[in-house]
Amino acid sequence: MATVQFDQITKSYGAVEAIRDFNLDIEDGEFCVFVGPSGCGKSTALKMLAGLEATSGGTISIGGRDVTELGPGKRDIAMVFQNYALYPHMSVRKNIGFGLKMQGLPANDINAKVEEAARVLELTPYLDRKPRALSGGQRQRVALGRAIVREPAAFLMDEPLSNLDAKLRVQTRSEIVKLQRRLGVTTIYVTHDQTEALTMADKIVVMKGGEIQQVGSAEQLFHAPVNVFVAGFIGSPGMNFFHGKVESGPQGPVTRFGGHDIPLPAKCAGMSGRDMIFGIRPEHIRVGEDGPGVALSLVENLGTEKILHFHTPGENVLELDRAQVGADEERDAQTMLIRVIDDRRYSEAETLALAFPVEKLHVFDPDTHEAAAG
Amino acid sequence: MQQRHPLNTIALYLTVLVTCGLLLFPIYWMVVTALQPASNLRAYPPQFWPADPQWNVFADLLAKHPFMLWFSNTILIAFATMTISLAVSILAAYALSRFRLRGGQGLGLFILTSKMLPATLLIIPLFAIFRSTGLVGSLWSVVIAQATLIVPFCTWMLKGYFDTMPPELEQAALVDGCSPLGTIFRIVLPVAAPGLAATALYAFVVSWSDFLFGRTFLTTNDESWTLQMGIASLKGEFVTEWNVIMAGSIMASIPIIIVYLFLERFLVGGLAAGSEK
Repeated sequence: MATVQFDQITKSYGAVEAIRDFNLDIEDGEFCVFVGPSGCGKSTALKMLAGLEATSGGTISIGGRDVTELGPGKRDIAMVFQNYALYPHMSVRKNIGFGLKMQGLPANDINAKVEEAARVLELTPYLDRKPRALSGGQRQRVALGRAIVREPAAFLMDEPLSNLDAKLRVQTRSEIVKLQRRLGVTTIYVTHDQTEALTMADKIVVMKGGEIQQVGSAEQLFHAPVNVFVAGFIGSPGMNFFHGKVESGPQGPVTRFGGHDIPLPAKCAGMSGRDMIFGIRPEHIRVGEDGPGVALSLVENLGTEKILHFHTPGENVLELDRAQVGADEERDAQTMLIRVIDDRRYSEAETLALAFPVEKLHVFDPDTHEAAAG
Repeated sequence: MQQRHPLNTIALYLTVLVTCGLLLFPIYWMVVTALQPASNLRAYPPQFWPADPQWNVFADLLAKHPFMLWFSNTILIAFATMTISLAVSILAAYALSRFRLRGGQGLGLFILTSKMLPATLLIIPLFAIFRSTGLVGSLWSVVIAQATLIVPFCTWMLKGYFDTMPPELEQAALVDGCSPLGTIFRIVLPVAAPGLAATALYAFVVSWSDFLFGRTFLTTNDESWTLQMGIASLKGEFVTEWNVIMAGSIMASIPIIIVYLFLERFLVGGLAAGSEK
């Protein structure tokens, strides 16, 4: 068990900078998730921590020991790969025990530890099978077994759930979290799936274009995103964005939305006359009696919840490309979403009056895309 | 599953039969020719199975010629060529497949150029080298000469195989504390067994059937000849005993069949199945 530090880490491939100015402290026993769209550098960062990729600059420490120049085998880490990377010519028993054998442990000790790991992961009946005779979920557990049996200082996991079907993924997700809590081993987990990040992590590192955008708990990222990217990336469906001019109203700053005044947080008082980006999460928009009226363009009924689509009023449409807004799905800038959980029946073309609770409105600078300070 | 039309089935079986017939007929004819006197060779109508098979042709061949010596020379050359070629090409192919080398792709193609040249073109420089190093007449000259042609092709065969193996396998072994060389021996080679078997078989067969290099470098005395040279020497200026030549050829094919049967279990693909999702 150990702390992990990235200090000024950079990685470049020729002229291309894959990772820039990467600084991060991970506490002992913490479950840290790197999340971001593909190509954001999260896997590269993990591979540099594992020693499978050389760094171009900076230092990496595990347990206070500088490991930047050490080979993967000398870093006291264990890794679970996306494709599991089980040794196909070895039985499950040998796969799990391989790392211990490399450490030079006596055969009896290896066997005892392998049996114990297999018991924990419910793999005992399969110990003498080859990986090809196992199901996807079982292979995944063998890969986990290979990691936990070594009792390393840190677990590194590179999208370990992405090859499982949806149901098994949810189940394995909670199993991994429980296992990590019980063993208390510092874990660095890479995923592109924000749901995994939000549900598993103590600390989430949101990355984009080789740079850290924000580090924080699920709570912090959800409620206080530092920029438009994080705001759009975290949450499903992602945050709605629109733009408008800050004006002074009788009760404080407001902006116009669909011909109505929307009250803004008090911190916007000093931004009067400026054009700003506003964000509100689909679940925070309230359907009420008073406020801007919008016509629903689509109603998606998901059983307990419903996603209501409506067109953003023309003057409020904010054109941002997808790379700037970290939305997972293809989002149409001219459409905003409302997520409601109630028994009311909604129909397309129905007109609803909306309320944007002032405490749930996020304000961003249109030039820097950073959250606007008060 | 869709039911196949009976006519399609018949056509399929016919094609298989005709193809097998075409492939197996030369072997069958080799056996028939070996078992009848040379004088029957041009008999018309041809005898498809000799009335009186001359089984003693094999014993005669062994008695009259140093056949077993040629045989052991060829075995030695083929195993040495196969071993050296594999040892060199495994390392070369692994480096080409896995390491980001400056000019690596160009180097890979350059390795192939020696395979593109005709063997006869290489003979003169090789002969000059072997003469100055005193290797002419030694079995090693043939081993080295053959390896120069076999290594490039084996390197490409193995590179192709290594390319299909997920690099995460080796990365997992490295994280597990295995050394880079240990990773090759403990993980890469066992997983690449089908590719290695195919490559070994190729090297063995090419070396076994060589005539040109042997004929050029091993001419001095018939005790250092290879099987192919020995069999070719059975063709006389005035009389050619085709039955003896065919008997020699049958015996010369047996080791290839044995090597194939031994390597066959590795040749069956699918060993890598199960390492991934």
